Amino acid sequence: MQQSGGSETEVTWEDQQNINRFSKLNNRFHELEDEIRIAKETNDNLEDASNELILTDEEVVRFQIGEVFAHVPKDEVESRIEDMKEVTTKNLEKLEEEKDSVLAQMAELKKILYGKFRDSINLEED
Amino acid sequence: MASSSGSGEVATERRGIPGAQFVEDVQTYLAQAGLDVNSALAFLQERLQQYKLVEMKLLAQQRDLQAKIPDIEKCLDTVATLQAKKGSGEALLADFEVSEGIYSRARIEDTDSVCLWLGANVMLEYSCEEATTLLQKNLENAKASLEVLVADLQFLRDQVTITQVTIARVYNWDVHQKRIRQAAAPAKDS
Repeated sequence: MQQSGGSETEVTWEDQQNINRFSKLNNRFHELEDEIRIAKETNDNLEDASNELILTDEEVVRFQIGEVFAHVPKDEVESRIEDMKEVTTKNLEKLEEEKDSVLAQMAELKKILYGKFRDSINLEED
Repeated sequence: MASSSGSGEVATERRGIPGAQFVEDVQTYLAQAGLDVNSALAFLQERLQQYKLVEMKLLAQQRDLQAKIPDIEKCLDTVATLQAKKGSGEALLADFEVSEGIYSRARIEDTDSVCLWLGANVMLEYSCEEATTLLQKNLENAKASLEVLVADLQFLRDQVTITQVTIARVYNWDVHQKRIRQAAAPAKDS
C-alpha cells in the first residue's frame, strides 16, 4: 500500500475512544492546575493571617464570616484558621495526587497513539 | 486501566445534544451519505460550530453554578455562627460594609430566626434550623446540577473530538484520492 504523505492509517473506534480520553484528561489537567494554584494561594493567605495573628496584641479580632466581619476572640480565630489550613492542605494533597495520576494516564495514551499514528497525530500543547 | 466509561454502544444524543457518528471507513461513509467531499466537509464544519455554541452556553452555566456554591456555603457558615452564639447570652458584634470603604458596627442579639434572601426581591424569615435545612438542600441541588453539567460538557467534548477527527480523515482521504488520480492520469495520456 502506498504511503505517499497522505496517510491511509485507519482510525478504529478504539483509537477514537483513546483520543477522546486523552482530550478529557488534558482538559482535566488544566482545570487541576488552576485549582492547585488557587489552593496554594489560599494556603499562603491563611499562613500570613496566622502570622499576623501571632504578632497582634488585640484580644478581639475581626474575622470574616460571610459578608461581615464578626468580632471574635483571638483564640477562637486561631483555632478556626488552623482548621481552615488543615482543610486546604488536605485538598491540595488530593489535587496534586489527581494531577500525577492524570499525567501518568496521558503519558500512557501518548505512547499508544504515537505508536499507531506516528506523525499523523499531534498530542503536544501548542 | 479500566475501560472507558459506558458500554460499547455510543449514546446517539444526550439532553438535546446530537451525537457525532463515528466513521469506520471514509469511502463507505461518503457513499452512504450520498455526499461529495466538499459537502461532507461543510456539513461536518457546521456541526462543529453548533457544538461550539452549545459548549459556550454550558460553560457559562457552569461558571454561574461555581459562583453560587461558595455563596451558599458562606450563608451556612453565618447561620451556624449565629446558632453557636445563641447559648452564650452575649451579643455578636459585627462590622459590615455600608458603602465602598465605609463600615458600620452591628450588634446582633440572641435570636431564633434569620431572614433568607430568596431572590426576586423576596426575603423570608426562617428559624435557624429551618434556614440551615433549606440552605443545605440548595447546596446539594447546586452540587448535583454541577455534576450533571460537567458530564454534559464531557459528552460534548467527545463529540467535538470525534467530529474534528472525522473532518481530518475525510480531508486526508480526499488528498489521497487526488494523488491516486494524478498518478493514474499521466499513464493514460501517454
